[in-house]
Amino acid sequence: MTRYLYLYLAFFLLTTSCRKFLNVQPQQQVDASVAITDAVSAEAAVNGLYNRLGSDGYYGSNFISLSYLMGGDIQWTGSQSAPSQIAARALTADNSNIASAWMAIYRTILSANYIIDIVPRLTDPLLTEAKKNQYQGEAYFIRALAYFDLARAWGGVQLITSPTYSKTDQEGIRRSSLAETYAQVLSDLDKAEALLPATVNRNKATQKTVWALKARFYLYQQDWVKAESYASKIIDDAANYKLLKPYNAFFANNVTATAESVFELAYSTSFKNGHYNWWLPPALGGRREWAPNNNLVTLLNDPAIGGNRNSLIAQTAPPGNLWYGKLYYRNPTGTDPAYLMRVAELYLIRSEARVKQTKLTQALTDLNAVRDRAGLSPATAATPEAILLAIENERRFEFAFEADRWFNLVRTGRVSSVLNISDPNKFVFPIPISEIIADKYLDPNLGY
Amino acid sequence: MYRNRHVTALPKPFLFITTFLFVTIAVYAQTTIPVKGTIRETGTQKPVAGVSVKAKTANIGTSTDENGQFSLLVPSNDILLITAIGHTAVEQPVNGQQLIDVTIATTSNALGEVVVVGYGAQSKKSLVSAVATVKADEIKNKPVASFDQQLQGRVAGVQISANTGIPGDGIFFRIRGTTSINAGNDPLYVIDGVFINNQSLQKITTQGQANNPLADINPADIESISVLKDASATAIYGARAANGVILITTKRGQYNTLPKVNANAYYGSSWAPELWDLVTGPEHATIINEAWINDGKPASTRPFRLKSEGGRGLPEEQPTYDRLHDIFRTGNLQNYDLSVSGGNDKTRYYIGGGYNKQQAILRTNDFQRASFKFNLDQQINSKVRIGSSNLLSRSYRTNARVGDGPQGGILQAALHTPTYLPKFNDDGTYAKWAGFDNLDVLIKYTDMHSTSIRYIGNMYGEADLLRNLKFRTSWSIDYNDYNEYEYWNSLTNRGSASKGLATSSISKNAIWITEQTLSYKAKPGQHSLGVLVGNSVQGAVETVTSAQGTNFPNDSYKQIASAATTTSSSSSAGNRQVSVFGRLEYNYGGKYFAEFNVRGDASSKFGTNKQWGYFPSVGLAWLASEESFIRDVNAISTLKLRANIGITGNQNGIGNFASRNLWNGGANYLDNPGTVPQQLGNTGLSWETTRQTNLGIDLGLLKDHISIEFNLYKKYTSDLLLSLPLPVTTGFSSISSNAGEISNKGFELGISTTNISNRQFTWTTSFNIAHNINKIEKLDIPVDASYSAERMIQGYSMHSFYVYNQLYVDPQTGDAVYEDYVKDGKITADDRQIAGNAQPKYFGGLNNNLRYKGFDFSVFFNFQFGNKIFNNNRFFHESGGTRDDRRAINKNQLNRWQKPGDITEVPRITTLGTNYTLSPVSRFIEDGSFIRLSTLTLGYTLPKKLTTKIHTNSIRIYASGANWWLWKKYQGPDPEINVTSDPNVQGYDLGTPPQPRTIQFGINISL
Repeated sequence: MTRYLYLYLAFFLLTTSCRKFLNVQPQQQVDASVAITDAVSAEAAVNGLYNRLGSDGYYGSNFISLSYLMGGDIQWTGSQSAPSQIAARALTADNSNIASAWMAIYRTILSANYIIDIVPRLTDPLLTEAKKNQYQGEAYFIRALAYFDLARAWGGVQLITSPTYSKTDQEGIRRSSLAETYAQVLSDLDKAEALLPATVNRNKATQKTVWALKARFYLYQQDWVKAESYASKIIDDAANYKLLKPYNAFFANNVTATAESVFELAYSTSFKNGHYNWWLPPALGGRREWAPNNNLVTLLNDPAIGGNRNSLIAQTAPPGNLWYGKLYYRNPTGTDPAYLMRVAELYLIRSEARVKQTKLTQALTDLNAVRDRAGLSPATAATPEAILLAIENERRFEFAFEADRWFNLVRTGRVSSVLNISDPNKFVFPIPISEIIADKYLDPNLGY
Repeated sequence: MYRNRHVTALPKPFLFITTFLFVTIAVYAQTTIPVKGTIRETGTQKPVAGVSVKAKTANIGTSTDENGQFSLLVPSNDILLITAIGHTAVEQPVNGQQLIDVTIATTSNALGEVVVVGYGAQSKKSLVSAVATVKADEIKNKPVASFDQQLQGRVAGVQISANTGIPGDGIFFRIRGTTSINAGNDPLYVIDGVFINNQSLQKITTQGQANNPLADINPADIESISVLKDASATAIYGARAANGVILITTKRGQYNTLPKVNANAYYGSSWAPELWDLVTGPEHATIINEAWINDGKPASTRPFRLKSEGGRGLPEEQPTYDRLHDIFRTGNLQNYDLSVSGGNDKTRYYIGGGYNKQQAILRTNDFQRASFKFNLDQQINSKVRIGSSNLLSRSYRTNARVGDGPQGGILQAALHTPTYLPKFNDDGTYAKWAGFDNLDVLIKYTDMHSTSIRYIGNMYGEADLLRNLKFRTSWSIDYNDYNEYEYWNSLTNRGSASKGLATSSISKNAIWITEQTLSYKAKPGQHSLGVLVGNSVQGAVETVTSAQGTNFPNDSYKQIASAATTTSSSSSAGNRQVSVFGRLEYNYGGKYFAEFNVRGDASSKFGTNKQWGYFPSVGLAWLASEESFIRDVNAISTLKLRANIGITGNQNGIGNFASRNLWNGGANYLDNPGTVPQQLGNTGLSWETTRQTNLGIDLGLLKDHISIEFNLYKKYTSDLLLSLPLPVTTGFSSISSNAGEISNKGFELGISTTNISNRQFTWTTSFNIAHNINKIEKLDIPVDASYSAERMIQGYSMHSFYVYNQLYVDPQTGDAVYEDYVKDGKITADDRQIAGNAQPKYFGGLNNNLRYKGFDFSVFFNFQFGNKIFNNNRFFHESGGTRDDRRAINKNQLNRWQKPGDITEVPRITTLGTNYTLSPVSRFIEDGSFIRLSTLTLGYTLPKKLTTKIHTNSIRIYASGANWWLWKKYQGPDPEINVTSDPNVQGYDLGTPPQPRTIQFGINISL
């Protein structure tokens, strides 16, 4: 009898005092406190940072699509209402694609902030000073790009420059002005420039990548002298960067990291470009939910306008006869690069910067370099206004499926006349309403 | 010798097995004789099932089967003690007779029934809580894959809705309303003491839908189902009980019974009673042309003009293809069950086998289940018993992508491809349109299947330590191996570019649990006392291994071994829990009842300082009809009042490590491993708690010919486990938190009546109805459901639709006018508002059973009222030309505004403005109320004379139909739909296979 009771009691004690028993450890994740501790884990975190930059929400498709859908040349053929709103430029603050871009960018910033915060403090002897500098430089560069994208898409935003360890860490931060946001971009770019080596790496940030982004940055700032000089730093490096002929030489036939690219994100089967099957038609295993609209098709097919850039599009067999884009086509591998900065852009940046400094002949030389590559005759424009318009049109076809058209028109102020948008409030995207609700310190963009 | 052996053996499980092996069949005493007979009701002469027949001195017994028959081996000079709920007891001497037929008279009180409750059984009389019991026999006629769906409409306060019409797919199941946002709302399922998994292990997507793991259990092996609804009943299950508990008791043999064989078979058909109304090709073309003209574009370039002019041909030239009737079919249903049960004085057993096959009405979806059940109980000696329950099943499904998303979506390809578009290209190849697959390709080549191997087993040992003190130890496991495979061949969208794409995923889920209880019962004088204490230790581990292959030599090679490119992955996660619990029952004189329950649970899911939670309850009841002043009122046969209050918890649905800051791998770059922050943890994370009070009354009138159960309840859930949205500037979009409160209050009414009861004819009716009011009492930040038409906002109920309100269509302009809710002169996201919700205001069922001589007839309706559905399918199909050649158009689109003066809610067709681009819009919110003739059964039991001639006990043949009539207002084919198995989305239709109409013919034979 008593034996039963002892047994029961023993069992009882055994199982109830088992704090150890309840200590179950994750096998798939690690605790944040041990995420970056040495050379190996720091490198992994930097890889993770590029992964964030290239995630679906950001350069992996969504952020790029915001620009080209807003740009008016791309149609959305799918069923979701969010992208169709964007294509119709009838944005509301609850647009989920806008929200996911916003989220993807701040996630990228979080990863960068971790690296910037932790890497300098690491004491692993295997982590050389050069590596430490490089990792921080890459993080500063990507953070600069992230704030640049936030600024050009939404205006001044909340500047988060430290990692989040608890939910109240970033509380109470209000939006900075547009100028302050761009100042943050420049500060990060300067730091990155000092930390990164002047090597050539088309998939990762180097000093040269910083220069290219600085050229774009100063173009947006209308600092024409600096825009020109930073663009020249890349263009003059002709051994490493040049316009490839014909136009499709930078993307067709599965090429990657060509001399055309200053910075492109690389994808692999374990990290697919979100774009890869959205452009191809069903006949090629894609969804064709983004497609060039009739107007763009006509223009690209016009030999005097599109030139050999008609290689960006193709048509399916009858009776479908659907036009589709061919910049992203590597189905099913998903290894299409995301093109962030090409040397063609630097030519057009410099061309514009030179027009603004009334160096018209030099400006035309740069513009014609791009036209020549597209198989077009030299531009006939002669006045500054005409050359600027020619540059604008060149960009339209040169970057038809990249993140340019919308931001470029907003930058030059031409968006109202080209896309017929009268309300200046609509030159920036709405701050996602979900964020307005979640953060009482965040003010909405007017007009949404 | 036995005795010594078991004492040392008891705590060591492997010796149980040894003991099983050495169990020998006891030898009967020389004086026993086989006795059989039928127990009938006095007057009606209706056979009475479940009557206890016991030999008084030998202390052995059995109970009658559904035909009122028993057989028993008893000493020839013993006395049979015959007792049954609601009947007077009878003592019948055996006197050497081998055939004993007895009639028993009904008594007034129906509360004698025994009800299975947590860790025990109680007489209905002593219950202080709201527990509903359903006998499996009552619900078996509904030809669905799982018992949970069979319960629909049977239990007051339990809302059950099938997500789709595909057998074995997910079920929406709520006991007394929705109590949680992120922690899950499914009840806890316990089968023969085993806590089982009811969360789908499916990894290969069928686009939002998920399989129902409860379909692994053969309903034919179930004896009864107890639904524990209030806190007094559920508190003993503590931290997992807030959503109620379903206790399933499977069939066991009877001691001292000759082997009894039961065979059941049915065969039937199912089909869709109604499908969607789509426009014809010419109508489609007319709409698109109209949009073109209304957009102000030149008529000369309208899309549907002469082909010679570069158009797609004139509208009247367009063909019409009916893809819906290609994809829906008449499916076969078949089911076979065979069981043998019986026992001697020391051993009883039940062996059951079953096979069920159901073809869905939607092509390429099949469900098959083969199951095996073995239950054994062995009395080792007068004080020690051991036993085991085992269920082994294999469910095989052929699947298809039936939910959201165009790629590979078989229903989508049929439902959304515009009707005028041909199936083939001019060159004879399969045509694909608008991102959808070619339907013929999918019908022919969809190859998705899954095999679930499930073992649910339990071993127990029970010992009477003292006369009233019992020790029980129980060891259980629920093991599920879920093996999925898909192959997309080179003609499908998913497989074409990759030259074939195959995915294999194997999930293994094991939940193990061991429990020890001590129980004590005593009856000093008028006092009656019961005590139970126990502990439990459990763990759960899920591992997933998956592989994917692309680039196959050709479509004859379907296994990943043949693929040129392969990737693979594995994952593993688990959690553990320890618990202690106890119950104290007391009653005085069978009139005054009190019960106290408590459970303490500690879970590894929570922060180290927050691991323990305690869940108490207390309940009281007064059986007033035992008081003399009521006993004298003739009309009242039973009157009982109940009241209880308690606290239960919920911890489902949250991650195993939600309390911690975590980084994740797999964020690779340039094929080098990368890591990223994954989750912001909350070290203060703890249980979600629900406080529930219940007031109940049980009333029996006219000798319990009318019995009524009424419950009023109030549930208040606080510390909601919630993925609280964070400003994403933190880098995280949400954090698991205890934030928010939800209340549910309502009533449940159940009435069952015996309308006519005589020898020839009986007619009984049961009716139940429930009403629940759900409200989010506190939620600092609104939370969007995964389909953004639903939002959770403080002050409103769960599953509320949050939309732009379309006021009307301007009769002059034809434009939709939306409500400027915030009155700022424009329509912005701020103008969205709550417009109805997906929860029914009233729901329940009505059943009638009639029996005339050998004929039996039953007709069962279930209903719900007041719920809304967001018909997103209509949003796609009524798109006013904005989707041109990319979506089919429905007939309702033809009701559009055409000229000034037209009164309609379908706006002028145009791709411009907000007529058709704003989403979600209230125009697509529809009334989801329905009444369904759930099942209709006519059976005939062959006369005894005939059946004895062919040496059978009884033979019944029947025909049964399901879903033969449906009253609805909903425009879609069936209002019982849901696009996803996501529990926070309800009443969202994106085109869902409707509930099938079925007819089946069957036979029940007992030997």
